[in-house]
Amino acid sequence: MTYSVPDVAEIEALAGHRFTGGHYTIAHWENFLLTECTGAELLPNGMVHPVALFHLPIEGAGTSIAEMFALGQAESDLSIMIESYEWDMFIPLQEEIRYSVSGGIISAERRANDQGQDYDRLVFCFEVATPANALAARTTIIWHYTRNTL
Amino acid sequence: MTVKAGDVIPPWEMPSVSAARMRTMAAILRDPNPVHWDRKAVAALPLGLGERTINQGPLGLSYIVNMLHAWAGAGSICKLIMRFPQVVLDGECVVARGEVTEITFEKDDKNPKGSAHLAHCSVRLEHAERGVLLEGSAIVKV
Repeated sequence: MTYSVPDVAEIEALAGHRFTGGHYTIAHWENFLLTECTGAELLPNGMVHPVALFHLPIEGAGTSIAEMFALGQAESDLSIMIESYEWDMFIPLQEEIRYSVSGGIISAERRANDQGQDYDRLVFCFEVATPANALAARTTIIWHYTRNTL
Repeated sequence: MTVKAGDVIPPWEMPSVSAARMRTMAAILRDPNPVHWDRKAVAALPLGLGERTINQGPLGLSYIVNMLHAWAGAGSICKLIMRFPQVVLDGECVVARGEVTEITFEKDDKNPKGSAHLAHCSVRLEHAERGVLLEGSAIVKV
């Protein structure tokens, strides 16, 4: 199956896109299940396992994995490849705290891999702040939207 | 804990990556990607992986977190950067490993108790036959 590749200008125009922003609270049950998925024991004193730093910023910023796939005009859910995740942790996250989240796309460009196949590289950045407006975490997600490789 | 450049971080092992945990994770993350819960979708990819599910990137990263927590304590991680050169598959035994590459000192003038030594670490997730699956770096308060 051949997909039409989005115009490069459409991809580049995504740079600067901002999500609506919002809030996210990790409930105890959610931290319990997330932590169990990692194979670790619950952390002490209601501390949230850092694995939450993937979905908490996404959901809190008012977006979703599905919307992020759609923004880059992913050919399918299977066409997304991870380049890297970067997590800066300034204050450990706690259960039942209502964090403020902002985020957007800070870079969007077309590149070619070593085989000469085009892909679109999108860089998402999110910031998570405490109710006192202290920066608790910053996350950067870099995904490749592969084109006609499946 | 006295830490110096060249120290090896005690490894952390995930004896068998669990497909059931991937499904739980996909539900919590609202992750629509079927590679995490549909073996036939993975088998249909031109990757030769067979009927296996692919672990979520953050879960592979979490094994590195668990290693660092076991070594330096919960809440000790300041920064993690991970790249994903290979996928992690259900049923695999993977081991998180790392070494300290440098020690620096972070001074906090407003809060001397907040000052800390920072261990800069090289970290990776390995599979016995397939080699390095994830690789990156971490900064940890020690």
